[in-house]
Amino acid sequence: MASSSTPKYNSNSLENSSSKQTLKDGTNWEQNEEIPRLPGETRVTDKDVIYMCPFNGPVKGRVYITNYRLYLRSVENDPVVILNVPLGVISRIEKMGGASSRGENSYGLDITCKLFFAFVNEEKFSENGWMVYNPMSEYRRQGLPNDRWRVTFINEHYGLCDTYPSLLVVPYNATDDDLKKVAAFRSRNRIPVLSWIHPETQAVIMRCSQPLVGMSGKRNKDDERYLDIIREANGQISKLTIYDARPNVNAVANKATGGGYEGEDAYPNAELSFLDIHNIHVMRESLKKLKDIVYPNVEESHWLSSLESTHWLEHIKLVLTGAIQVADKVSSGRSSVLVHCSDGWDRTAQLTSLAMLMLDSYYRTIQGFEVLVQKEWLSFGHKFASRIGHGDKNHADADRSPIFLQFIDCVWQMSKQFPTAFEFNEQFLITILDHLYSCRFGTFLYNSEFLREKEKVTEKTLSLWSLINSEKSKYTNPFYSKELNRALYPVASMRHLELWVNYYIRWNPRIRQQQPNPVEQRYMELLALRDDYIRRLEELQITNNSKISNSSASSSSPSQMVSQVQTHF
Amino acid sequence: MNRCVLINYFMLTLFCSTKEQARSELIQTLNISMELQCSLKKVYAGEIVVNEVNFVRKCIATDTSQYDLWGKLLCTNFKISFITDDPMPLQKFHYKNLLLGEHDVPLTCIEQIVTVNDTKRKQKVLGPNQKLKFNPTELIIYCKDFRIVRFRFDEAGPESAKKVCLAIAHYSQPTDLQLLFAFEYVGEIYHNPAKKVNGIDPGGGASGQQTPLFETYSDWDREIKRTGASEWRVCSVNEGYMISTCLPEYFVVPSSLADQDLKLYSYSFIGRRMPLWSWNHPNGSALVRMANIKDVLQQRRIDQRICNAITRSHPLRSDVYKSDLDKCLPNIQEIQAAHNKLKQLCVDDPFDETEEKWLSSLENTRWLEYIRAFLKHSAELVYMMECKHVSVVLQEEEGRDLSCLAASLIQVMLDPYFRTIVGFQSLIQKEWVMAGYQFLDRCNHLKRSDKESPLFLMFLDCVWQLLEQYPAAFEFSEVYLTILYDSARISLFGTFLFNCPHQRVKESTEFAISKNIQLGDEKGLRFPCVWDWSLQFTSRDRLLFHNPLYVGKSTPSVHNGALRTFKRSKKNYSSTLRGVPPALKNGIIGDQEFLPRRNSLILKLKPEFFHSAEGQSHSMEQYFRDWFAKPVDLHGVILPHLSGTQIKLWKLCYFRWVPEAQINHGGSITAFHRASLLADEVDMLNRSLRQYKSNSSLQGHCSELDQSRMYFRANGLNDTSGTPDFLSSSFPFSPVGNLCRWSILGTPLSKFLSGAKIWLSTETLANED
Repeated sequence: MASSSTPKYNSNSLENSSSKQTLKDGTNWEQNEEIPRLPGETRVTDKDVIYMCPFNGPVKGRVYITNYRLYLRSVENDPVVILNVPLGVISRIEKMGGASSRGENSYGLDITCKLFFAFVNEEKFSENGWMVYNPMSEYRRQGLPNDRWRVTFINEHYGLCDTYPSLLVVPYNATDDDLKKVAAFRSRNRIPVLSWIHPETQAVIMRCSQPLVGMSGKRNKDDERYLDIIREANGQISKLTIYDARPNVNAVANKATGGGYEGEDAYPNAELSFLDIHNIHVMRESLKKLKDIVYPNVEESHWLSSLESTHWLEHIKLVLTGAIQVADKVSSGRSSVLVHCSDGWDRTAQLTSLAMLMLDSYYRTIQGFEVLVQKEWLSFGHKFASRIGHGDKNHADADRSPIFLQFIDCVWQMSKQFPTAFEFNEQFLITILDHLYSCRFGTFLYNSEFLREKEKVTEKTLSLWSLINSEKSKYTNPFYSKELNRALYPVASMRHLELWVNYYIRWNPRIRQQQPNPVEQRYMELLALRDDYIRRLEELQITNNSKISNSSASSSSPSQMVSQVQTHF
Repeated sequence: MNRCVLINYFMLTLFCSTKEQARSELIQTLNISMELQCSLKKVYAGEIVVNEVNFVRKCIATDTSQYDLWGKLLCTNFKISFITDDPMPLQKFHYKNLLLGEHDVPLTCIEQIVTVNDTKRKQKVLGPNQKLKFNPTELIIYCKDFRIVRFRFDEAGPESAKKVCLAIAHYSQPTDLQLLFAFEYVGEIYHNPAKKVNGIDPGGGASGQQTPLFETYSDWDREIKRTGASEWRVCSVNEGYMISTCLPEYFVVPSSLADQDLKLYSYSFIGRRMPLWSWNHPNGSALVRMANIKDVLQQRRIDQRICNAITRSHPLRSDVYKSDLDKCLPNIQEIQAAHNKLKQLCVDDPFDETEEKWLSSLENTRWLEYIRAFLKHSAELVYMMECKHVSVVLQEEEGRDLSCLAASLIQVMLDPYFRTIVGFQSLIQKEWVMAGYQFLDRCNHLKRSDKESPLFLMFLDCVWQLLEQYPAAFEFSEVYLTILYDSARISLFGTFLFNCPHQRVKESTEFAISKNIQLGDEKGLRFPCVWDWSLQFTSRDRLLFHNPLYVGKSTPSVHNGALRTFKRSKKNYSSTLRGVPPALKNGIIGDQEFLPRRNSLILKLKPEFFHSAEGQSHSMEQYFRDWFAKPVDLHGVILPHLSGTQIKLWKLCYFRWVPEAQINHGGSITAFHRASLLADEVDMLNRSLRQYKSNSSLQGHCSELDQSRMYFRANGLNDTSGTPDFLSSSFPFSPVGNLCRWSILGTPLSKFLSGAKIWLSTETLANED
């Protein structure tokens, strides 16, 4: 998956966007240099090689290794083959005998990777992405705290739970002491806390980890009472809905390791349902199968059934279906929900963030989405370092899993179904995923807020949102039409779910879809045309006004025409 | 001389001060009995109500009866009609067909009629002239356009209900072509000269541009000139259908073939279908279609003669490339089988049960595989003409099925004219209607033929794939394609009624004689033409046909911030001269470079040209690779992307009735909506800019500003800041009441939760009837 090769005129390598940007800024790409470099990027070595391009066959070229990327440029110019891969993106390096000398350097690369380019990156951006998310202002935006929900600093020094953020929102009627008692009964102390509150129904989305029921079916009065307090905070008489993201059997199996789910006897005021979403290992295997059918060759003869056999879209469907249920319960059902899986940092993050995306149009803006990722994923301890395997030698690590990728895929599916509902475009999502692996920014480093604070990530590295917010227009969906308070329910059906070709198969020049998307491109042309016409009309108007004065009282005068038109935009 | 009453009505509607006035005039004209006035607008000349039953319930939702409508079910000789005063529930928008009410089903659109008696647990598929031994409690109509409509007779008179069911079965399966409504209608119009209006020829559409129908010598001659086919001529040997009854009266042949030779050769071809010219590439390569030669002894000789003549008509005397379509494309039975499976999968099977295996089931229908085969083969032939500069002959047994599809696709890819509305319509006239595509048999209007095959739909689907891949290259929208497909199922338009032009003349002359109609000089009766869209839609609704993203001939476009105008050079296509090939703009070697005197490149290329098959496939691959690597010229050649990920299911067409598949407030229509608003605004600005520049008086300004190409207008009512509430992925269609499958239980929400195995039972399930 890491390889990328395209003729130069259509260069679409993984780093295309960012490196081009640097070029425009004039920060680098000095004349006598063979490769583009970011500020802080230093060259390690280079060597003449033969690159076995999956499309053009063997290509003679020179490979350059820096502390950030592997860059290959072909010697021949027709076509120019460029391979430009951030080291963090490389998922596996195999030593191969014979034809190429790549193997020799490969182990060296791996070590370089550990140093995280993000810490030496000296790029400058006009926006500071670390300022994007402030938990307090995000909760205020939601109307919190209020008379039923309070902000607690009990976790200020991560004493209660080291994988949770420092600031939490909990029921007003639960004391900090209660919280501590509840923490004892929840896996890794991840107690139920508020993620989102519905502005009208006041129903809330809560998240947590599994209760520590175990084989003996332990109960905890404090936990039981706490869940009742949550239910009552909404003034609701009906039961509190608990969505356990796992398949029923998995939840049962977790009892063996001390976990489990909320039993009917212990929680008579709650209604539990399982959402059947599989665990990280199943997802990892599914993605691996997907890679097998698209690389190095796309399985053409039985494309659809091959795709089906990976189950990738089926998993996407289940995640979306689960999120729809959560969102619908909160919105139409006017009922508070509690979402958890085992630890509450993988499937739970997917479900809460997708449900919030469906219910709250703010999260469909560029900034809102950044906040959503910061909040539901980063601050609530999705283990990015472990799931991606940043700086980890052990490639077979069972902790790796494409959970965040799956979430972004779900977002992409939604944006396909609602082309005007999201302020950001496909490039935005691809850029996020690229830098999930690139280590150019500090955003996705480490497993928790606690660790990021400890490593002073915000001081020592740059935020991915700096890059994006400094050049928002590039990531803006031209079709976006701002709408407030409309819940968007995608159709989670195989009939509508598609493989995200522009992400998974983009390196294949034969399959890659037209870039930019022709619909979007044509729309941009029309926008430019409109602006040009308006400008010319205004010019004409000025010249005409100077010629003919006082005779333009007619209702169809161009001046009115222009102002009329402008009001719509 | 036979402008119909229908148009008269619309004209009246337009010009009379009130609708009522128009209506009363129409009543006088048609002399329709008073009892039918409630449905007045929907009953036409020649239309008679055969049977009717009151207190019928139309089922709207599959899961509950709470939205059901009460009314009267009518069977006429044209359609099934359900007349109700109840407002349509759950539906925010529905485009209106002027010929059909929203509950109407044309008889020719009916696929199967099932009657049910649920107390006796009996059901029966009704054929024509059949008896029904039980009183039906329910009637289910399976439509060819994938709808399933259900009526309940619980409160209706049992005998009347039975009669209506039998009438529907009888009238929807006529024993003879002349029993189709179109004949009755046209007969009525001819029979009452008083009803003739204005005398405008109902040919290519009442307003503005005319679609060439290729019924006349001059249409063919114009096409020859338009494409610069100087070595080709219109031939009239088949005037009066003297040679072949399945060829048009006029067609185009190599100039070097004399009429005498043609007559002689014609005997050797199946159906006496001698070679027909379709189109000329600006580089001189011709596209020709031809039936097989049945005379084995003469085969070689005639084939040679024909090929020589085609070669002689090529400016470079290039060879002829023959493609035997029967050998490289799926046959009509396979296509029909694929279509049946597709229908089964899309609408008949329970939604949830098909979810898990959806992708492999879709693959198993083979529909997409066939779409791809047609696109691929056509693209390869485009390569032969465009790059190898050879004339292409499409060979097929009768030359009137696969050839129609391949010939049209090639032309859509090569000639931007066929991507305009008028051009596309003329293409269908030229390659389908006139070339003798057997609409009657293939659409199975008489429901007794085993020759049914959805080739025309497959063509529209292929074009949709191209539209999807090149959204700015077509003047029309996918709504247009869908509605065109639907129009083939309305038995009023002569366009889609016959197996060939001769059949229209023959059958309608017989009919005229039997009805004592004076035909005068006319060859047969003239039927309304589908291209006269005003028959079906208001001018406002027709705007939905326009693609807001289309980059028109002279539409200004912006590149890198600089304005530039797409003006095709006069020489190119649009005039009699052979112009610069659009290919040149793609960087592909065009004919100018090909000419040896001007460019020595020819010497380099020539040896490669007629190489071994291996060399050919290599350079073809190279051609495609190079083409895709370059920016697309929307007014040049467009080629399909063919990988599995890029050939898609045409959801608007196949899912529009499926409630579970409907994306509320979403779908590509929402982007279409935004684009419409913007395109409209750009048009408006452009117009006022022109007005302003020409410095004309400010009068007239208003009227011109009212013109709009777009359905959604920047200044219109729809211009709210957000997406209008009524938009959905089914727009402008609606699943409401159009897809009532058997006993599917669930809540309205269930469509969002399809596939969730754990769907809870907390919601009360509505009782099924």
